[in-house]
Amino acid sequence: MTLSPTKSTFGSGQRFFSVHEWIALAVVLASFVIPFATTNPQILSLTNQILIAGTAALSVYIMLRMDLMSFAVPTFMALGGYTTALLGLRLGVTDAIVLGIASFVVPALVAIPLGALILRLKGVYFVLVTFVLTEILQLLLFELGPLTGGANGLVGMPAVTFFGIELSDLSQVLLTTCGLAFVGVLTTAVFTRRFRYEFAAIEKNDVLAESLGLACWRYKAVGFAIAAGVSGLAGFALVNMLLTAHPSSFSSFSSVNYITYTVVGGKGSILGSLLGAGLLVTASDFFALRGELSPGLFGILIIVVTLVAPDGLIGLVSRIVRKVFSTVIRHRRPVQQEACT
Amino acid sequence: MDGIITAGLIGVSLGAQYALLALGFTLIFGILGVVNFAHGGFYVLGGYLTYYFSASLGLPYALALLLAVLGSGLLGYLLETLILERVIKDSQSTLMVTLGFYLIMTTAFVVTFGPEAPQFPFPVTGVWRHGGVYFPYANLIVLMVSLLAIVFVYWLVYRTNVGRSLRAMSEERQVASALGMRTKTLFPFAFALATGLAGLTGGLVTPILSLTPHIGDPVLATSFLIVILGGLGSVTGATVAAFIVGMVEAYSAVYLGGSKGALALFLLVLVVLVVKPSGLMGKEARKA
Repeated sequence: MTLSPTKSTFGSGQRFFSVHEWIALAVVLASFVIPFATTNPQILSLTNQILIAGTAALSVYIMLRMDLMSFAVPTFMALGGYTTALLGLRLGVTDAIVLGIASFVVPALVAIPLGALILRLKGVYFVLVTFVLTEILQLLLFELGPLTGGANGLVGMPAVTFFGIELSDLSQVLLTTCGLAFVGVLTTAVFTRRFRYEFAAIEKNDVLAESLGLACWRYKAVGFAIAAGVSGLAGFALVNMLLTAHPSSFSSFSSVNYITYTVVGGKGSILGSLLGAGLLVTASDFFALRGELSPGLFGILIIVVTLVAPDGLIGLVSRIVRKVFSTVIRHRRPVQQEACT
Repeated sequence: MDGIITAGLIGVSLGAQYALLALGFTLIFGILGVVNFAHGGFYVLGGYLTYYFSASLGLPYALALLLAVLGSGLLGYLLETLILERVIKDSQSTLMVTLGFYLIMTTAFVVTFGPEAPQFPFPVTGVWRHGGVYFPYANLIVLMVSLLAIVFVYWLVYRTNVGRSLRAMSEERQVASALGMRTKTLFPFAFALATGLAGLTGGLVTPILSLTPHIGDPVLATSFLIVILGGLGSVTGATVAAFIVGMVEAYSAVYLGGSKGALALFLLVLVVLVVKPSGLMGKEARKA
């Protein structure tokens, strides 16, 4: 949770994953149960949407480790989604593992040369350029009609298979999404934890980090590629759920949603993206009858969280947990407390 | 030949509209360091207020437009003083706040006016023609008003004490306020000026183009495009870039068709950002 490494976090006994990563992995693992536990299409579809949104929001989380606010999530989602759709349609590839790898690798490979161009930008300029990227993508999807199907998108992909078993009905599609989300969470967790000090240094002050000998560009490039790959996984899951790859699934303003999930949930923790996606997707589903209201709800939440709780809901929860714990400890050891003071 | 001139005229009038929009956007960035994601929202607000005052209350169009400008300016003023001022130092927070505000605005338009485009034609019809060259009177009026407004902004920013203070504050807020410039009144004023300009553009243009709650999205994208091209925070850059974009759009719509022109523009912007992030006319406008 804390990003500024203090003396104690540098200690040799520091575990690789913090509680947040373990909870995140456990939650996604637990979601594997849902397709077996229920056949209610509403619950299945909601879980599907939440996992996809959460996975996409993770890439916002990764980029925020480097203090970069990225609007390019839909761009890489589209790359991943269209890649798998094309592989299925043109080459008849249906294996979930092959498609999953492709949906991660293609966006990541595109992100490397792209990152070399745009990662030197910071702050507002980075925001603007990623926003422009989403617009370019929309135009490209329409212009490259022979490849992308233009305004019609791509439809009629064969069902995904896993070791030869066809995953076609709603609960099986959810299984695929669960798998992709798990890979996404695991990748994000391993990556952000492995390089947590490097990222913390870049986030706080990259010029200083650079001058102390940290090759910032290398971490930024890899971070951008990993974030792109995780978005690609979400794009695959989305295309697999909707049975179509269409430009409207990757509109430039959909990036606002993923940013909202991460910021409202808490941008300092991997759990934030998942919690934000869970709550907000459920909320917009709840408002489905008055669907036009959900952007307004998102807007209010964004402003309130920015003004009142910059660490988001997770920050709020961990503050409460810490407070409860500290009072419990104080009650248990009143003698020691007094001795200290 | 006539076709080229007609397209050029359309390009100039598009450029003038875009300049109005982009001036507001670039002023807010230059002076406050805020990327205003709600800029498109104020454009739509201007459109709906003009529609409301003229079509529903029956006021004359010019008066309705004036009220719309005041209304958009007032809302911008309130947004700055009540919310933005609390987080003004952190560019990521201001970005999130304006983004949130834009979402709220869009929702409010849908709830108040419905998702469909209202019947809202421009009050002046007819086409000016000279030989084979055509130019609708509506576009002519838009062009004139836009040019007047641009001149007004230039006069305000470069020839008045208010403008000098604003430019001083954009250089260094603390020093400027130490020298007696009132950031607490001038910042909201600058924000109101910018949102008022967006409202003016909306009130002028939406009767010609279209008025729906979500029309702000492409407007925001276009504003981004222009200010990046011209250099964030640069008034002259924004004006020049706006006319470039207007011209490219007009000619590509006639001669290329589809979205190739827009694609070319976006790629141009991408190149500019990478090669010279400060834009065509920019100095290092402001540390982002």
